Amino acid sequence: MLDLQQLATIAGKENLIQEPNILKQYSQDCSFVNPVRPRMVIKLHTAEQVQQIVKTARATDTPLIPVSSGCPHSRGDTVPAVGGAIIVDLSEMKKIIHVDRKNRVAMFEPGVTFAELIEKVKKNGLRLNMPLLPRQTKSVVGSLLEREPVTMPKYHWDIADPLACTEIILGTGELFRTGAAAGSGSIEEQWAAGGAQKEAAGPSAASWYRLIQGSQGTMGIVTWASARCEIVPALEEPFWIASSQLEKLLEMTHWLIRLRLVNECFMLNNTCLKMILQSAEGGTGAAIGNALPPWILFFNIAGYEYFPEERVAGQIQDMQEIAQRTGLAPLKDLCGIKADKFLRIVQQTSANPYWKLRCKGGFQDIFFLTIFDNLATQMETMYRTVNSAGYPVSDLSIYLQPVVQGANCHCEFTLFYNPDVEEEQERIRRLSGDAVRNLLDQRAFFSRPYGENARLILNRDAATVNALKKVKNIVDPDWIMNPGKLCF
Amino acid sequence: MTLAYYRQDMETCCRCSACKFIPLERVTGYEYVAICPSIARYNFHAYSGGGRLGMGVALLEGDLDYSDKLVEIIYNCQMCGGCDVSCKYAMDMDVLEPLNAIRIECVSRGKTLPALDRLITKLRHGGTMLPPAPSARKSWSDGLNLEDYTRQKVDLIYHAGCRIGQDPAMWKIARYSVLLLRKAGLEPGIAPGSELCCGGRAYEMGYQDDFLRQARVVMKRIEQSGAKTLVTGCAECYHAFKVLYDKFNLRGNLKVLHTSEIFADLISSGRLQPQQEVSLKITYHDPCHLGRLGEPYTHWQGKQLPGHIRLFDPPREFRRGTKGVYEPPRRVLKSIPGIQLVEMDRRKEYAWCCGAGGGVKESNPAFAEWTALQRLQEAGTTGADAIVTACPGCEKNLKDALKKPADQTRIYDLSELLARSVLKEEIDAAQ
Amino acid sequence: MPLSKDQYAAFEDVVGPENISAEPAILYSYSWRSGLYAGVEKFTPRFEAVVLPQSTEEVQAIVRLCNKFKLQFKASSTGWGPYNDAAGPGVIRIDLRRMNRIIEINEKNMYAVVEPYVIGAQLQAELMKRGLNCNMCGAGSNCSALPIAAHQGIGHMSQSASYGERNQLALEWVTPDGEIIRLGSLGSSDEWFCGDGPGPSLRGLVRGNVVPLGGLGVYTKAATKIYHWSGPPIFPVEGISPHYSAGKIPHNFSIGFYSFPSMDKLDEAQQKVGESEIALELMGFNAAMAAANIATSNEEEVKLFREFSQYVQGPCFMIIIAGNSDRDFEYKTKVLSRIINETGGKAIPKLLDDPVVAAGCLWRWLRSTGSIREVFRVSGCFGGEVGGTDCFRLMADYIYKTGQMKGDLIKRGLVYDDGTSPFTQSFEHGHFGHGELLIRYMPNPITFKVLTTEFLVQANETAIRDHYGVPGHVFGDAAHDMYGPHCSSYHLWLRRIKKAFDPQGASEATHYITVKE
Repeated sequence: MLDLQQLATIAGKENLIQEPNILKQYSQDCSFVNPVRPRMVIKLHTAEQVQQIVKTARATDTPLIPVSSGCPHSRGDTVPAVGGAIIVDLSEMKKIIHVDRKNRVAMFEPGVTFAELIEKVKKNGLRLNMPLLPRQTKSVVGSLLEREPVTMPKYHWDIADPLACTEIILGTGELFRTGAAAGSGSIEEQWAAGGAQKEAAGPSAASWYRLIQGSQGTMGIVTWASARCEIVPALEEPFWIASSQLEKLLEMTHWLIRLRLVNECFMLNNTCLKMILQSAEGGTGAAIGNALPPWILFFNIAGYEYFPEERVAGQIQDMQEIAQRTGLAPLKDLCGIKADKFLRIVQQTSANPYWKLRCKGGFQDIFFLTIFDNLATQMETMYRTVNSAGYPVSDLSIYLQPVVQGANCHCEFTLFYNPDVEEEQERIRRLSGDAVRNLLDQRAFFSRPYGENARLILNRDAATVNALKKVKNIVDPDWIMNPGKLCF
Repeated sequence: MTLAYYRQDMETCCRCSACKFIPLERVTGYEYVAICPSIARYNFHAYSGGGRLGMGVALLEGDLDYSDKLVEIIYNCQMCGGCDVSCKYAMDMDVLEPLNAIRIECVSRGKTLPALDRLITKLRHGGTMLPPAPSARKSWSDGLNLEDYTRQKVDLIYHAGCRIGQDPAMWKIARYSVLLLRKAGLEPGIAPGSELCCGGRAYEMGYQDDFLRQARVVMKRIEQSGAKTLVTGCAECYHAFKVLYDKFNLRGNLKVLHTSEIFADLISSGRLQPQQEVSLKITYHDPCHLGRLGEPYTHWQGKQLPGHIRLFDPPREFRRGTKGVYEPPRRVLKSIPGIQLVEMDRRKEYAWCCGAGGGVKESNPAFAEWTALQRLQEAGTTGADAIVTACPGCEKNLKDALKKPADQTRIYDLSELLARSVLKEEIDAAQ
Repeated sequence: MPLSKDQYAAFEDVVGPENISAEPAILYSYSWRSGLYAGVEKFTPRFEAVVLPQSTEEVQAIVRLCNKFKLQFKASSTGWGPYNDAAGPGVIRIDLRRMNRIIEINEKNMYAVVEPYVIGAQLQAELMKRGLNCNMCGAGSNCSALPIAAHQGIGHMSQSASYGERNQLALEWVTPDGEIIRLGSLGSSDEWFCGDGPGPSLRGLVRGNVVPLGGLGVYTKAATKIYHWSGPPIFPVEGISPHYSAGKIPHNFSIGFYSFPSMDKLDEAQQKVGESEIALELMGFNAAMAAANIATSNEEEVKLFREFSQYVQGPCFMIIIAGNSDRDFEYKTKVLSRIINETGGKAIPKLLDDPVVAAGCLWRWLRSTGSIREVFRVSGCFGGEVGGTDCFRLMADYIYKTGQMKGDLIKRGLVYDDGTSPFTQSFEHGHFGHGELLIRYMPNPITFKVLTTEFLVQANETAIRDHYGVPGHVFGDAAHDMYGPHCSSYHLWLRRIKKAFDPQGASEATHYITVKE
């Protein structure tokens, strides 16, 4: 039986929240998961508190759901799947613990947002490899744990990047540090020795951080993370390339990444770009209207400490040779939108409200990993699916992000809808399920399964599910961590 | 040398498996990276050079005995030296010599294979391991009026070798060879109808005493002839005379040349002039005994110095296949107008064995054939119309592996093509 | 206890009579001890039999039989290190030699899929023809191309092509209890491009910065990231073994070997090189390794080492630059020159002056064929210290500290005197580093005892006391039990993984971790 007094002793009475209005915020999100009200929200501020809460939860069989980002949530992973759950809200853990320029790494708590971290690391000449326009309340730790795709494929050596080490309170209540952070020694002792909690793998013959990423809080609660950073360029020259032929852009993208010519590099369809521009401050998306070509590739060539102008000039020439071979023309200005301005936009967080909410107030993402070879078929499948549901293809937002240095491509469809219209909501919900099913049949890999569709996705791979359950039994033997999510 | 002599070499094996592959700098693709037919066929590590070295140590330690299985593993090896070359790319240790030493131990214990015993019996009784030619009254040298060095003094001996001497299908190699020498103004002597086996294969099969006995008889006859130079077109004989006889201090001052070497010199000096076009796209198969094993023997007597590095006093020069006979055959072939030479992936010091050596053709013909088929397949990838080699043993084994009679014409000895270019008129007249 | 007739027959039914053996002659060839940490025993303990499966299904059947018969199994690809050895009685050795196919090379999506017995040289050669390349295991291109086969899977090209833990994509895994798990996109979509998900990544189980060394089942196929190659499709190697070289260095390639006045300066240089992203390879080789790489005999190595040592002012690195275009090469060369100047680096005279020698070194360090010379030619044996994978300077400091301990061993005449310099390397353009200390010695019980009881103990104490993380040489129960309590008790969690996935203890885990119940 949960003892509120005990919880108050751990967290402080002022950090136990049971007001219905606030609980309602955590009981649902922009996704289609069933709303389930949590029992309470507990705001925690230290790893010790988290540990005590986990132990208490174990003793009382109380589900815990870690949340570090602020609203609006959209994937259903932070909405309880079962009753009686406690939301462990870490959004007030806002310490940026350490920034190490030499080793290009930063360490921070779960409540730190992108804007906060960008500003801090920039002072050290560093930058993050960021996802595209995260919302202002998005936790960096949350994003890293979700394996969100990032915009600089050159610096994305592994799907897990840029996450390095973590400190996690596992579902057993034990504290564990992954990677180099495990030890020996305290974090401070490691710093004194020259360590920087940079190596993510290990310790030894397991890469624990990989089991935590993608787990949607079902393994434990992360109380800090370190992330590799990159250097702030001395010079940047971004470009657009537009085309009605996606395959040409894919060819161009392949070579830009393969030859390591570009930093930021991704493709958008015109709808997506329009939405982004509309949302950005002073955005001109509305004015552009139908002037945008169907597909747009955006990339950025950068120079650093040594002869940046020469480097950039040389890489631009190399880029132009590829463009010529491919029959494409790089531009600095696309329909009046300057590439430099767009670069500044995408190197920051989204303006408020979150750009995906601006269109109609609601949105549903369908994203998966794929490879260039399979994209055409998957696109066609999606077009057919939305057509069948009566959703205009022209309203479909598409974001293609090459990741893992070009070995994978993150494909993200966004469906906009008015959440206040029940019929529309229902249509999008059904459409989303159909799309996932149809795309699965076309070899789309839903590596990050969320919400209603998670079981459909996971059930395709029974062997993995069995293995994940074994892992779950190790780190969360009482299954208190976010039960009902993924295959748990 | 006894097996114990090679203990330190064997114990230097670090298990890197380099002995299974061609020197890795030379790998240019997925295919054709294996150098050792034995492990390529049988897959267990025991069938590799390194695997056998481990077994050698186990024998010395008394952990293994000379079981039938051990004998089978030891003798399912063509003694091609590929493992030795690949290992010595990086290491200072012998591989082939210990393998030979194991065979010598096997023989000394009576642990051999019946097929090989039969060969040696023939050698002991008839001076050759091969069956005699179908017609004892005919010989490859009929009509050539060559001097008999067993009766007269000669400067130059042409040694045909058993494979050529006993097989009428191979006689043309000897005939062309001596005609070419004659064309260049050289008059070799031969031992018509009484040529003795060099004994080289006996050594490689582990019958060291039989080899030595045979070699002494052979050398006595050669010494009596006064010959200063011996030329042979058989790579195995070349290896025996040049390397093995030298190893056991039997060769004296006799200069030993392969026909490809002497032909290359004669072409360079203008004494042979390939003028007739021979329009053929060919690939050249390096015989093991001419190539990597044809490297001159290096005498060394000394000891390993104490310490943590294998250094020797005096310094020990390892035979690594570097100085084998690779270029002379190629120079000869390239000098023939119309010949287009394309190389196989595995060539020169890392050529794939034809499959015949070490007694394998006799004791395990299926394995010899398998090995040959691998080589034929590799040759096929070059787009060449024909394979050329410089060893009758290689030629025979490759031809034996071909199933269709019409294909028999696709494998040539180097002397045949040179003869076509130099002696066309003579050949046409004879026909 | 030898296999019973029925047990033998059961395995034979799986692989066929030609592909199983319990013959002593065959087993002894496998038991010949590795050259890594060669000690007192010449042969590892006898095991039951060796099998040669050809497919994942055969591997699964073998593993299931081992579980059924309460036997253990140890799988190996090329079988070089001691961790390939079956521990003794009751163990079946699975030699994966017949699983040697390149399944796929996907140029557009930059990955290749291989079976365990494809060696690095084969994969690299096929990739080069297509303008691609791969990280090659630093021990040599005679090692498996599987990114999860080698102990760590770090290689000479890790500066630009990372290493096994990071390059691995999808994986096919026969678990110790005989299930087949296909990780990532392979299990969900029958695609090889991703090894992570759905949900958490099971890549976290199958390896860390070291692999389980045969103790967690069998990896039967894996996809690995591949990289761009701007060099010739076939490297123009000339000469006859062992004197290979290219006639000249390929267009837009260069190689340099520099020594620095101090580790501070080398560290500064490697950081600048990394942040400039100019190097294809950056390896902190020492003069002894350079001499060994170039020399074709021990005599020559001794001579060259003496020669090079005269010019070494401090720690060294070798750098290879490859330009993707003339402009790119020119830029990278200019930057390198500036960095070397700024950090007081000096080229080692005579090492690479001769372009033929330089081209030979370039190729050997690209193809990783020199490692056997560098490590084993001297005595057939080496020991030493393998660091972890963390910040470059941290790893360098650790390995230099252990290098000082080597000095004592040299003084005592226990090991070969090739100086005390370790080697370091940087990967992912300086984001990580690694170091190793090579200790070459003629196998003898005294040195072995000192290395394993004194030296390694000291190295471990140093790592723990001075916070250098968990080195790569840490494997086996005793070592994990020593490190674990200082490192988040990871050893307990590792044991839990072992127990969950290997309930019967069928996967022989001497070099991984056992359940220890």
